[in-house]
Amino acid sequence: MKKYVTRRILQLLVTYFAFLTLLFVVFRIAPGDPTSMYLLEGMGPEQRQATLERLGVDRPLHEQYVNYLLQLLSLDLGESFRYGTAVENVIWVRFWNTVLLMGPAFLIAYVLGIGIGAFMGWVRGSAKERFGVIMTLVARSSPEFWIGLLLLMTFSFYLGWFPSGGMRETGYEAATFWDRYLSLNFLHHMFLPLLTGVIFYMATPALLMRSSMIQVLNSDFIEIKKAEGHPEYIILYKYAARNSILPITTVVAIVVGVALGGSLVIETVFSWPGMGREMVDSVMHNDYAMAQSVFFLMGSVVIFMNFVADIVYVFLDPRVRYE
Amino acid sequence: MTTEHTTETDAPPTERDDHMLEVDDLRTFYHTEAGDLHAVDGVSLTLDRQETLGLVGESGCGKTTMAKSIMRLLPRNGEVVSGSIRLNGVEVTELSEKQLREEIRWTEISMIPQTAMNGFDPVKTVGRQIVDVIRRHETETPKAEAWERAKELFENLGLEGSRVHDYPHQFSGGMAQRAMIAMALALSPSIILADEPTTALDVMIQDRILRQIKDLQREFDTAMIMITHDMSVVSENCDYIAVMYGGRVVEFADAETVIKNPRHPYTLGMRNAFPDISEDDQDLVSIPGSPPEVIDPEEGCRFAPRCPFAEEECWEVTPEPEQFPDGDQHVVECHRADEAEYLRAEAEKKETWLSVQEGSREQRLEELEVNDD
Amino acid sequence: MSTDIRDRLDATVEGNRRLAKLSKDAGYVWGIIRGDTLATIGVVIILGFLFLALFGPMLAPHDPGDNLRGEDGQLLRTDSPTETFSEGAYLGTTNYGEDVLSQVIVSVRVSVFVGLLAALIAVFIGANVALISAYYGGRVDDVLMRIVDIAYGLPFLPFVIVLVFIFGSNIWNIVFVIAAVLWRDSARVVRSEVLTQKQRPYVKSARAIGASDLRIMYKHIFPNVLPLVGLYAAFAVAYAIIYEASLAFLGFGDPELYSWGQMLFQAYHSGAIRFAWWWVLPPGICLMLLVMAVFFIGRSLEEITNPELRH
Ligand SMILES: Nc1ncnc2c1ncn2[C@@H]1O[C@H](COP(=O)(O)OP(=O)(O)O)[C@@H](O)[C@H]1O
Ligand SMILES: [Mg+2]
Repeated sequence: MKKYVTRRILQLLVTYFAFLTLLFVVFRIAPGDPTSMYLLEGMGPEQRQATLERLGVDRPLHEQYVNYLLQLLSLDLGESFRYGTAVENVIWVRFWNTVLLMGPAFLIAYVLGIGIGAFMGWVRGSAKERFGVIMTLVARSSPEFWIGLLLLMTFSFYLGWFPSGGMRETGYEAATFWDRYLSLNFLHHMFLPLLTGVIFYMATPALLMRSSMIQVLNSDFIEIKKAEGHPEYIILYKYAARNSILPITTVVAIVVGVALGGSLVIETVFSWPGMGREMVDSVMHNDYAMAQSVFFLMGSVVIFMNFVADIVYVFLDPRVRYE
Repeated sequence: MTTEHTTETDAPPTERDDHMLEVDDLRTFYHTEAGDLHAVDGVSLTLDRQETLGLVGESGCGKTTMAKSIMRLLPRNGEVVSGSIRLNGVEVTELSEKQLREEIRWTEISMIPQTAMNGFDPVKTVGRQIVDVIRRHETETPKAEAWERAKELFENLGLEGSRVHDYPHQFSGGMAQRAMIAMALALSPSIILADEPTTALDVMIQDRILRQIKDLQREFDTAMIMITHDMSVVSENCDYIAVMYGGRVVEFADAETVIKNPRHPYTLGMRNAFPDISEDDQDLVSIPGSPPEVIDPEEGCRFAPRCPFAEEECWEVTPEPEQFPDGDQHVVECHRADEAEYLRAEAEKKETWLSVQEGSREQRLEELEVNDD
Repeated sequence: MSTDIRDRLDATVEGNRRLAKLSKDAGYVWGIIRGDTLATIGVVIILGFLFLALFGPMLAPHDPGDNLRGEDGQLLRTDSPTETFSEGAYLGTTNYGEDVLSQVIVSVRVSVFVGLLAALIAVFIGANVALISAYYGGRVDDVLMRIVDIAYGLPFLPFVIVLVFIFGSNIWNIVFVIAAVLWRDSARVVRSEVLTQKQRPYVKSARAIGASDLRIMYKHIFPNVLPLVGLYAAFAVAYAIIYEASLAFLGFGDPELYSWGQMLFQAYHSGAIRFAWWWVLPPGICLMLLVMAVFFIGRSLEEITNPELRH
């Protein structure tokens, strides 16, 4: 087990390093003068030179690369020209706004998805299962923005039950953290975007859990557990579901990646002031430092979640633990 | 400990009540798209304490269905449509799901799967699973005591007690089977069902384990139904043997009689397929063809299409079970069972079996006439 | 000369044999799809969209960019079908007075094109990476699987957006960029299948008769993982369509082409989303139907690759 964890940590480091390198390369092959992204319009030639020197973009590429790594790792994210201030002054609020929306969306989607999937596997061959599969496939076939638009049109514009966007009422000043994120007003604004995420992200774990469940239910040991005289619900939860979850954990991180990406779309539809919308806007406005920072944060989260999922797997499956 | 149920049912005592298990004219069908598949089609059996019954037949003859019917653990589309299963006087076919769970499963009948390793939940320790089943049925037993019992059971089977804390994948195949047997014995059941337990293991290891089971059967006062398609396994370890074909028991007797003096051509054919029981070292011949899937049973013997000795009568009249005095409860379903001497002699020849071309009744009857000339 | 002919004959015989096997397999797959109502529905829907993709521009009642005017010469600005039906705009108009129906029909092409091509490229890369990685194992496997890990570390949509932005929003770039991310799924899954296939006796006997690595990989192993590759190809088609639409909805679509995502982008940003259901529903429903059809077929393929899932 120690060996397994050590190997995972090494792999994590390699992956992360490669990710950072890729980020550097991608943002430096951008069209046009690679330094132009750091320059603002209306700067004089001396000013330009000064900026370039300050940012170190006039140095050789390898030096820049080392600097870039050092900066990123010390969370020095550079300067956003759109906001005219350090990226970190803007991005952390955005980051938490996104985490507070997509985190719960993802968690609820996973728990519900696993539950629904387990149920579909359990009642396989019945009309209930057929209905469940069709609904799940329909949800999976609807891109986030489409679900979002439908919810927006129905519940906000037509029925008027929910606000059409933003995180809280304009003019609502949040004094404390609790006010900010746990007020009814916040939850009211959060409902539709959250629901959008839940509907779309639920499909993958549900379908996976269903097939996993069907396979586990076909295995010999379930037959033995029935023969042992355990009631059905015990067999379902204590034995079948517990084993079926194993393959689902490995895709947790993948779905986190998809969900973080989905924040771009959901936040755009619901004008949610998070990282995703910031990414779209900053790419649109050539704000490289901001786009790169968002990308860096999202990638870091996904890679870290991949790692966590691998470690959790070890605890769930003794076959790996004792390898 | 197992007779307590007798008092609950007020069935009138019959002369057959002295057997622990009595299966009478049992029929189990699978409902399929093509119609009802008669997987078990009128089987009667008896079994007593500490005895071992071998259930033999090729794959698809209905052995597993038979075992699952006794435990009432059939797949969704399976159903016991008629007949009776009496265990210690209790009519198992009439019990509710709850009663089955509480009064029959594992307390009275436990089972060992083909590959013992797969019989355990892979993510829980073996001991934990034994403790779980003990406490499921004996709710008042403290945890610590259940663990003690699990260890004792392990030691009974020659495993180190401390290994109860291991996960299934940490056991070798043989050890996993011992652990499985330990679990099967945990509640001192009346019967252990072992479905092809020998297929997955090395012969030597298997032999040792089977002998150990014999001793434990005495100690725990447990009977066993051993299912196999391998005649050599049953010959050494069983008291009685039932040979199944097409959902019916075509020959039943004590083990020695079935091995040494079988009367049914199918038994003769099966015996040929395994070396160590036929006396002279001839080539192994298995019976060409495969068992039928009985959907709309017609009149006639089900083995006739593959039988080298089939005559017109075999195709037209279903043979009735017939008792023979040459063995303990020797019952055979074959029109030509009384010609046993001739059948045995012919069955030893390889050509006899290879000459059979599976075919329609008309074709086969024609052949028969040609051969007779 | 004669050996040449014999070679060619052999090749023909071999070719025929393979053709026969292929048509048998195709018949088998078709049989399963036919037996599955959902998959049959999927096939019908897809055939419908393929037809529209081929002949859409001929069938569209108007030029999708035409600004339609009413009898009074007024631009039909975001008018509902009831108002524009008589003018031949059966599904209403956009804020520029364009015919929604024509735009929806013409847009089929982009989704179908991106879906098919991106999936093909993705699965081509994925399957090859999987074969090489699993077959050679060791270092090669380590390196390739690390690359797959990195691909999984990239948040999908942001990566696609950055790439599309850098290389430009034209349809070819969109296809390649989506493929560049989608290959990872088939690579990972097919690899583990190749690993099990590698243990099968037929690989050993092929090796024993001296077949080359390439031959074993592509002639012996590949046909056995083909059903799985097909399944992941179906998934890739669905995701490629979804991601193309998402890109377009975010404003990164090919500005030269009409697509469903783009229509919704326009409806959303013009504010018409507040009331113009006739503009929002048709492209969204089409998108959903097309992706759904692919998933319906995927479900059937899944049961082929994994018979345990069949009831
Ligand atoms: N769930 C099922 N549905 C339909 N037919 C079945 C099912 N299970 C078994 N059968 C059929 O019932 C017959 C007996 O099967 P089984 O009891 O498993 O035989 P055995 O254990 O002797 O190999 C076979 O023809 C088999 O195909
Ligand atoms: Mg069986």
